[in-house]
Amino acid sequence: MLALVITESVVIVLLAVLVAGLLRSHADILRALHSLGAGVGDPAAPLDPPATARPVSIGPPLPPERRASSVHDVSGVTPDGDALAVTVGRGRTLLAFLSSGCTTCGAFWSAFADPAIRRQLPGVRMVVVTKGPDLESPPEIRRRSARVPVLMSSEAWNNYEVPGSPFFVLVDGGQGRRIGEGVANTFDQVADLVRRAEGDAPQPADRSGSGGAGSSINLDGPARESANDAELRRAGILPGDPSLYPRSLADVFADPPPGTPGTGRPA
Amino acid sequence: MATLRAHGIVAPLPAGFEGRIFQRTPGPHGDVPRTVAQFATFPLPDEVGDFGGGGVTVMGPTDIFCTLFEFGPESLGAARFARSGAPSDLTPADFRTTVLRRGLAGQSGTQWFFTASGRPFTFYAVLGANALAARLVPRVNELLAGLQIGGPVPSTPGTPWS
Repeated sequence: MLALVITESVVIVLLAVLVAGLLRSHADILRALHSLGAGVGDPAAPLDPPATARPVSIGPPLPPERRASSVHDVSGVTPDGDALAVTVGRGRTLLAFLSSGCTTCGAFWSAFADPAIRRQLPGVRMVVVTKGPDLESPPEIRRRSARVPVLMSSEAWNNYEVPGSPFFVLVDGGQGRRIGEGVANTFDQVADLVRRAEGDAPQPADRSGSGGAGSSINLDGPARESANDAELRRAGILPGDPSLYPRSLADVFADPPPGTPGTGRPA
Repeated sequence: MATLRAHGIVAPLPAGFEGRIFQRTPGPHGDVPRTVAQFATFPLPDEVGDFGGGGVTVMGPTDIFCTLFEFGPESLGAARFARSGAPSDLTPADFRTTVLRRGLAGQSGTQWFFTASGRPFTFYAVLGANALAARLVPRVNELLAGLQIGGPVPSTPGTPWS
């Protein structure tokens, strides 16, 4: 009988030690989870403030929202080392962002050297803007001898968010905003872009800001995008409309010149 | 505010001004390149004379045209260039309808000869309307206040690309 009692006591002690060990191990696990932020805490305690959501970076940062209508005076140096500053605050100014390296730009350098071609855009001041001397070759630019002001300024490329060359921006100084911008392969296309922009430009009576063609004037960023979306909806152009997805230059230009890539028209 | 810097001249441009600082190509007789700085509150035509020819004819009444023209070293010491430093604090009385290279009705001008940093210059300014001189002259003074002229510098055209 005595032996039975002793054995039972030993078993009870061993079980007690085992339970204590399990409880300690469980406490260690809970402590570790809590330190990792997964702890459940004390249910009776007041709720912790919600953790601040932080974005996860999974790649290079995206460029900021394009501010497609803001305008900036342009200043820099000429290929000859002179200084030049052009204000865009009056009249209409066509800024042609060109470079010495792009093949397509060659036709534009020739066009800007030809007064007859430049006369296609009467009343529009033309200025060629290349990147600054740190990123472009002044002798190469000087060799092209355009007969319009040529200004070298990387700052201007940044200000106008130029994605590449050739790129054209038409500024209306009276409205203090860009009224057109885009790419082109020939000067005729540039002239067409300018004429379209001038045709689309709102008349003074449209500038009420209560809708209509002038509703996006002086708006930038998301507000401008929303205004443009509303304008498209009013015109019956809804998301997915085929006109929003041109597949060739023929879809963009009413009468592209022969030989224009993407038009299927022979030269 | 854009700042023009070239050929030893630094010119911060007041709001609404554009400008250029350049050197005329030397003539066939071994002339020294002349540094010219032009400033205007209207789009400067591509081809404009040193003293505004071809430019002052397109000015509006509220416009201003200014030019800073450097003479050759042979002019140093001449009585005409005895004044030291560019003019400043001009007044409407300094502008006259008779001081115009091209006498256009309503316009007025002023011209000053001086020497700065060992370089002889003339400063010539035209107001689009003399009747608005009280309003326009302070803008000319604002331009002059920021003007800095350094010592003679060699001609820079053809500076190699680095």
